[in-house]
Amino acid sequence: MEPEVIQAEMVLPTHLSFKRIQMYEKYPKGQSRGRHWKHLKQIIQAENYQNYPPDEPNYVNIESPPSMHPCKRICDITGYEAPYYDPRTNLRYANTDVFKQIRSLPNEYVQRYLALRNAAVVLK
Amino acid sequence: MPFISRIQRQSDYNLFSSSTPIVIDNGSSYFRIGWAGETDPRVVFRNIVQRPRHKATGETVSIVGDHDPALMKYFDCTRSGPRSAFDSNVVYQFEIMEYIFDFAFDRLGANGSEIDHPVLITECVCNPVQSRSKMAELLFETYGVPSIAYGVDAAFSYKYNEQHGVCDRDGLAICPGFTATHVIPFIDGEPVYRGCCRTNIGGYHVTDYLKQLLSLKYPHHMARFTWEKVEDLKMEHCYIAPDYVSEAQLFQKGAKEAEDKTRCWQLPWIPPPAEERPSEEEIARKAAIKEKQGQRLRDMAEAKRQSRINELDNELRGLEFLLTQLEKVEECDEASFLSKTGYISKQEIESALMKVTQSLRKAKGEPKGDQAEIDEKTDLSANEKFPLINVPDNLLTPDQVKEKKRQLFLKTTSEGRQRARQKRHEEELERERRNQLDEVKRLENPELYREGLHAKYKELFEKIEQRKRLKTNGGHTNGNNLSGGVGRGERLNAAQRERMRLLTTAAFDRGKGEDTFGARDEDWQLYKLMSKDNDDDDDGPDEDEAELTRISSRLQEVDPTFVPKPEIGTLQSTEMPRLRPLTKEDFQVVFGVERFRCPEILFHPNWIGIDQAGLDEMAGVSIRRLPSRGQSVEERLTNSILMTGGSSLFPGMSERLEAGIRMIRPCGSPIRVARAMDPILDAWRGAAAYAAAPLFSTQTFSRMDYEEKGEDWLRRYQLRYTL
Repeated sequence: MEPEVIQAEMVLPTHLSFKRIQMYEKYPKGQSRGRHWKHLKQIIQAENYQNYPPDEPNYVNIESPPSMHPCKRICDITGYEAPYYDPRTNLRYANTDVFKQIRSLPNEYVQRYLALRNAAVVLK
Repeated sequence: MPFISRIQRQSDYNLFSSSTPIVIDNGSSYFRIGWAGETDPRVVFRNIVQRPRHKATGETVSIVGDHDPALMKYFDCTRSGPRSAFDSNVVYQFEIMEYIFDFAFDRLGANGSEIDHPVLITECVCNPVQSRSKMAELLFETYGVPSIAYGVDAAFSYKYNEQHGVCDRDGLAICPGFTATHVIPFIDGEPVYRGCCRTNIGGYHVTDYLKQLLSLKYPHHMARFTWEKVEDLKMEHCYIAPDYVSEAQLFQKGAKEAEDKTRCWQLPWIPPPAEERPSEEEIARKAAIKEKQGQRLRDMAEAKRQSRINELDNELRGLEFLLTQLEKVEECDEASFLSKTGYISKQEIESALMKVTQSLRKAKGEPKGDQAEIDEKTDLSANEKFPLINVPDNLLTPDQVKEKKRQLFLKTTSEGRQRARQKRHEEELERERRNQLDEVKRLENPELYREGLHAKYKELFEKIEQRKRLKTNGGHTNGNNLSGGVGRGERLNAAQRERMRLLTTAAFDRGKGEDTFGARDEDWQLYKLMSKDNDDDDDGPDEDEAELTRISSRLQEVDPTFVPKPEIGTLQSTEMPRLRPLTKEDFQVVFGVERFRCPEILFHPNWIGIDQAGLDEMAGVSIRRLPSRGQSVEERLTNSILMTGGSSLFPGMSERLEAGIRMIRPCGSPIRVARAMDPILDAWRGAAAYAAAPLFSTQTFSRMDYEEKGEDWLRRYQLRYTL
């Protein structure tokens, strides 16, 4: 190891005196790591919130409901208020200049703009 | 304001008694750890782990937090990026969490056989019990922690600010964090989780949105927009507009105010070395060199010519001498004399002499045209030249018949030549006549004439272009022809494609049924079609093109402003934007609307596809969710709204929040929005103050408690914030 790396103590030591079980004992080399951690979705599913009274707050039911306000539509490219919508690309746009621009955009960029607001076509 | 980390190793760990709790604010962006009762955390770092390979030794190492980027060059980070233990705001990857604890306790100076201090650690609101119990297990089993308490960061922050008089006992804590935003109502100094709500949007989404927008706007500088850099840009430049629509209109109109609000980031750019115009002397010197070289070549050519003339002269003299000698020699000795010279006959010598004289004349550069002249003259007297043609065959000897055939052939070719000449002459006359007609028309009405020509030119040009396109593009006119043929189908023309089709069908057409190929003669035509020569079906020199060149030259004559359009091929190359030299402006990243568009998603999460209520609406949702409602309670709540959490640092946040909440509350209700003293550190400070209270130990649970009481108890475990 380079002296400045050791100096900065960047690398975590493998043995730490204050630990009862060391990292290498818990996760021996060669075993697949990290696979067995449940993702949040799986954790929530395993919590079985449906078995508890609905007025008891839990991770799922404290989520905010959808907005009651009408959605403000903004131009996907410029961020201005967007009165128009291009049926070919599905992009919203503010004026003719932006329209020209979106019509000349390659499809990849159109999809990336749509992906920003989670409206892209997802091929499965 | 860039990331602030504090990772120096503390040396006073052993000075703290084992009853002093360690306080951890385990936020999804930052990890803060320190001692209860102190005002600032001892160690602060980004809550991430990287596991790169050390380049020199090849071993995989763990690096926690962010370090000097200059030192990262010793590691190969291409395989794995920074990883977080969080999924949204819930800890799920306890292996990563363990690395983080290792680093944190190590930097806090821990050196005993275990961590012999109670731990207060923050978690999200309504943390799933699975995450809670895994965390407890980790701390108890691996680090030997005697007891643990869990609390909510926003609640600690609210309590801390309540103690300092920023907010009241009843109130709302609005906490836009890194991955989620919470609103928690407080009644009698205790958080009411039944009235709480969470929207899954936070500073992470703002940074990500800004990053995406910038890389879409400046695709050439995509590599510049690293997460860290964009995070810096966000913290430095983003603000919340008081009213998004009117602010955006300012920019749309290009108002002066908008110009002042536009920020520009100049990327490193070195101007390309300006091309110096060569000086006069330089030009002169170059010309002289060129001239000298040309002169040398000319001299060489001249010398060569001279030597050839000499050579030919000598040969000529030799031959003449030979002839004179031959005349002197006796008739009978002629054969022996000739055999010595190597020639067979006198005629041969004469013809050689003839050839040499001709090439000598050519070498000397004398005009050669007289031969043709002579031809022409003889043409006139064709009848005398070919006397045998009009004589019937039966009157001639066999030799004469042969001669007659030869003469006939010569005559027809010369006649053909003459006819061609005649035709050329006629065409010239016709062209002349048309030009004159044109001229007359032009003089009659020059404007109309020019317009007509232009129109004709345009029409022809388009026609030719269309044909070329069809040829290269195989009929696929896909709107933007100038981008050239892309993809397999478009690269071939129709004939080539037909050929490919034939080849493939021939290659794969076997096995099925009986092979009858060759039974009919037409089958063999296939090979002819397949052969390569077949594909250029050019219909010779194009009439249209000739006409086009004529018109364009004519146009150039009459219209000095006319510039003929370049060919398609050249057009393409001029359209390439890369040919333009890059300027300073190409290396500027300009933020105008982005400055307030990105943080605006906290108020409109559906702009990034999250269908949940925004920050201002959440306050209303939260109040509506409270079980015990009354006007006085609601008024007390809205009269003490506290903003805490990293994303509440955006300028203009409190004004906007106040305006937004005013819209959803009844008219005249009191609304007061306050920002926490330090939105980022107050959660830790509140927790440290809380853990220092003498009654703190009543809120913790030990490993024994955890094992005896079980998961159901842990699920309902909740801290009392007022002790």
